[in-house]
This record gives sequence, structure tokens and C-alpha cells, in this order.
Amino acid sequence: MVPITYYLLLAAALFCMGMFGVLVRTNALVVFMCVELMLNAANLTFLAFARMHGDGIGHVSAFFVIAVAAAEAAIGLAIVIAVFRSRGTVNVDDIRTMKH
Amino acid sequence: MTLPNITLADFLPLLPALIMVVGASILLLSEVFLSSSASRGYQAVLTVATAVASGLTALGLMFEPPHAVFLGYGVLDPFSSFLTLVVCVGLALAALASVSFLRKRGAERGEFYALMLFASAGMSLLAMSAEFITLFVNLEVLSVATYALTAYLRRGTRPSEAGFKYFILGAFSSAVLLYGTALLYGATGTTKLADMAGPLSQALATAPALVYTGAILVAAGFAFKVAAVPFHMWTPDVYEGAPTPVTALMSAGVKAAAFAAMVRVFLTVGKGMDPHMPLALFSTLALLTMVVGNLLAIPQRNVKRMLAYSSIAHAGYLLLGVAALFVTAPGEHFRILGASALTGGTPLDVARSDALRGILYYLLAYTFSAVGAFALVSALERREDEDKGTAWDLERFSGLAQRRPGWAFAMTAFMLSLGGIPPTIGFMSKLLIFQSAIDVGLVGLTIVAVLSSAAGVYYYLRVVVYMFMRPVPEGAQTLERSWGTEVALVISTVAVVLLGIIPGRVSEWLAHAGTLFGQ
Repeated sequence: MVPITYYLLLAAALFCMGMFGVLVRTNALVVFMCVELMLNAANLTFLAFARMHGDGIGHVSAFFVIAVAAAEAAIGLAIVIAVFRSRGTVNVDDIRTMKH
Repeated sequence: MTLPNITLADFLPLLPALIMVVGASILLLSEVFLSSSASRGYQAVLTVATAVASGLTALGLMFEPPHAVFLGYGVLDPFSSFLTLVVCVGLALAALASVSFLRKRGAERGEFYALMLFASAGMSLLAMSAEFITLFVNLEVLSVATYALTAYLRRGTRPSEAGFKYFILGAFSSAVLLYGTALLYGATGTTKLADMAGPLSQALATAPALVYTGAILVAAGFAFKVAAVPFHMWTPDVYEGAPTPVTALMSAGVKAAAFAAMVRVFLTVGKGMDPHMPLALFSTLALLTMVVGNLLAIPQRNVKRMLAYSSIAHAGYLLLGVAALFVTAPGEHFRILGASALTGGTPLDVARSDALRGILYYLLAYTFSAVGAFALVSALERREDEDKGTAWDLERFSGLAQRRPGWAFAMTAFMLSLGGIPPTIGFMSKLLIFQSAIDVGLVGLTIVAVLSSAAGVYYYLRVVVYMFMRPVPEGAQTLERSWGTEVALVISTVAVVLLGIIPGRVSEWLAHAGTLFGQ
């Protein structure tokens, strides 16, 4: 059996990749994918710990997170489409009309 | 297999949220039967009626004894009921301000009000969540509805930009919070707050890194939601770009609900820890948020953006109240200034429940003042100026006292209240928070708070100066009146002034509301 630490390290790596991606990537869709990566890292952590503790809460949590992520994806893609229609680009660097 | 024992009484605390969901469903379904040119004036009325019904229910629930419901997945306590009441106030005022805002843009649709109601239902449920997955789902219910509301006016460039920024950073912060939750679950083997305290102190001995990482990630997630510095970058752009009534709902409701959840989570998670950890965390956040929020607001000529920065500053004062909850060993000068010193209990308990009350009263005060101010901003702005970015310039307020004395008076009341000047509700609420912070010995931090709120008075009073001392600009457009905005302005002005002079019944409710389940 693969030790739980490996799962946790994989999840932590995925989470950091996602976080890094959100902060540095410029394509809105890639940024969006990175957020999904972070959510799934959390899911993997939940599942690994659920196996360690031998209870069901972690498993159930993962299902809830999947459902929530789906709802978030629907809204997020709709917003990305609205941005594309009004500007013709989904580059994050170009989306800044408001002054800082 | 045995079924969990859930009775009808478990559904009682959900009643305010259920009323809002039913109202939202009626609005959504009725939209199916309306032609695009049909009159939609009833929709705001229905929303306000739903908010009032829900608020009154919450008020009734406030006097129930605190207890756990749904096997500990939620709690009913005066704290959560008072918060639902605050959310309902914000919702009703924002819905009233939406009427003319949407009509001017030809965007009057039932979906808008339905989304507002769904978001508020999420806020109400978030305040009573006592389990991490329930908390996450409710947080997302309110966030997803607010993302959609922010990008609701699809045609302009600003709303879609604001919606996009809000969505990316909101989803990012939710993911951070969720990952923190997963780590805490790993450390303790439970996601229920009530069961967490015991395993947490064990886990702190065996795997402290896990617990601290989890707690810090959860705190960072919440800090994004309440717009605390250094997690505030999204706030000005999102507040400026979102439709003004949505900004009002965001600044009042979302912030209030996130604060409630944060307080509930950290009072449990912080228990087993070295008490200096949460105290240091929240003191630092409070200090940065107060100072940076106020400093950034000073140069703003755009009133809507100025209010966004001011909302960051107000989050800082609220964080001061939160920090006061975590003082366990008060310093030398520990003494109780508050009136509730007479009610008994150990000094620390008294101070803590004073701080809770301060936070709640501050949220109510901020809701009345900020939503009122945003309602006035929405009454002054014109669709045509939005893309140029001049719709919210200070010039808009020039000579308002001559053109609409009533509006100028209302805005003055809101500005004084936000600045914390008597005789307004904003003064009373600042007093409560600062007093409870001094009671537990956070003297230095309170001095910074007082000084930075004095700096804040500068940019609030500048609006007043423009209204009363500048001439009406040439070729100014006529200001249209609409019943919704007028009603919202009258209600919030009366509340801001009256509650500042005679807190009356509200202080009575507040006396109950300092009770948190399991504390």
C-alpha cells in the first residue's frame, strides 16, 4: 500500500502549482484551471486523511466539493464569456480599465 | 443502519433562510410568465417583503436558548440570529435602491432580486454553520450568487471585469480555505467544530505544523472574504465595477456573514493553541487593515472607490474587536469600562461578550450607513458616464445641498456615521468596539484605531464640503427621484441618527446577542 504521506505530498504539490498558476498565468482560462487544481488538491487531501482515519466524512466532503466546483465552473465560464464578448480577449493583463 | 434523529425543531433556525429561498423561487418562476415589456415593479416590493418577514423571524429566534441543530452541523444562537437580522436589513435597503438603478438601465428582471435573496440565504446559513463542509457550501452559495450579481450588467466593460476579478480571487480564497479545512480534518479526524476542541489539543502535541498550517490557511481564506489587508487587492475594483446596489449588499452582507463565520471558527480552533497565536494574527491583520485602508482612501476622488477603501478600513476596526476576543491574560490595566460589568461573570467573560456585542453592533451600524451611502451614489450616477469613469466623481456631489437638500442631509448623516462622529450609530458602535478592546488591554492597537479613524474623517467630510460649499456645476442634469431610493434613504437616515441617540430596543436585543453557542 502506498503510504499516506505520498498522497499528501502530491496534494500539496498540486495545491502549490495551482496557487502559483493563479498568481502568474495571464490567460483567464488557465487561471481558472489552476483554481480547479487547488480545489482538487484539497479533495485529494480529504480522501487521504479519510483513509487514514477510516471514516466517511472525508469521502462525503469530496463529493460536496465536486458539486460546488461544478457550480463555480458554470458561473466562472459564463463570466469569462461575458469578458470575451465585451473586449475580445481573455488575457488577464488586458482586463484593467479601472485605475489603481 | 439507524437514521439520524432529525426532528422538525431542527428546521426552525433555517426558517429565515427558507423564507428567502421561497421568495427567490417565486420571483424566478413568475419571470417565466411575464412578457419582456410587462411591469416588474412588484419584484422589489416582494423582495423587501421577504426580507422583512425573514428579519422578523430571525428576531423571534433570537430569544431561543442557544442549541445545536442537525446533529451539530449547525447551531441556533442569538449571535447567528442577530446576524441574519443585519443581513435582512442590508438586503431590504439594497433591493429598494435597485428599483430605479435597474429601470434606468432597462435591466429590471426577477433574476436579479432572486440572486440577491439566494445570496442572503447563504449569508444567514453561513452565520449558523458549525461544521466545515456546511460552512464551505454556504460560503459558496453566497459567493456564487454574488459573482453572478457583480457581472449582472453584461453589456458594460466594467461589470464583467469586476465579476471576473471577484470570481478569480473569490474562488482562489475558497480553495485556500478548503485546503486549510482538509488539513484541520486530517489533524483532528472531524469537521464538526463542537467535536474539534479535544482532538485539536492532542494534535497540537503530535503534529503542530499540520494544525497551524491549516488554521493559517483558513484564516487567509476568511481574510480575503472580509477584505483584510494584505488580501484586499480585489476590493476597490470589484466594488467600483459592480452595480451599485450589489456593491451595497456586498459591503454589508458578505462582510457580516464572513466575520460571523470567522469568529465562530476561530473561537473553537484557537482554543487548544498557544493563545498568543490567534491574538498576534488578528492584531496584525487589524493594524494593517485599519492603517492601509484609511491611507488609500484619502487620495480617492471617486466616491464609490473611496467607499470601497473605507470598507477595508472598517474591516480593520472589526478585526480589532475580533482580536479582543482572543486575549486570555489581560495586562495590568485590566478593568471593565462597559455597563455590563454589573452583570457578573469573570471579567474576561464579560469583556469577551462585550467584544462580540461590539462586533455585531458595528456590523449593524455599517450596514445602515454604507448601504445608505451606496444608495445615494446610485441615485446620482448616470449610465452614460460609467465607461468614462466619471460617474462617481466628487464633482457629482457639488451643490447637492441646493438641488436636493434632503439627499445632502442624508449623505451627511452617513458620512458622519462612517467617520464615527456623534450623534450617529457609527459613533456608538466604534465606542463599543474600542471600549471592549481597551477593557482587555489592547491599548496600543486602540490608539492606532482612533488615530486612523480620525484620518478617515478627512475623506468623509470632503464629500460633505462638496455638497454644501461648492456651487452647482453648469449644465448639471436633473436628478430624478424614485420611491425606492427615497424610502431606502429615509429608513437608513432615521436609523443612523436615531440609533445614535437612543439605542432603545436594539441595545436590548444586543444584550442577548453576545451569546455564542458552546462558549
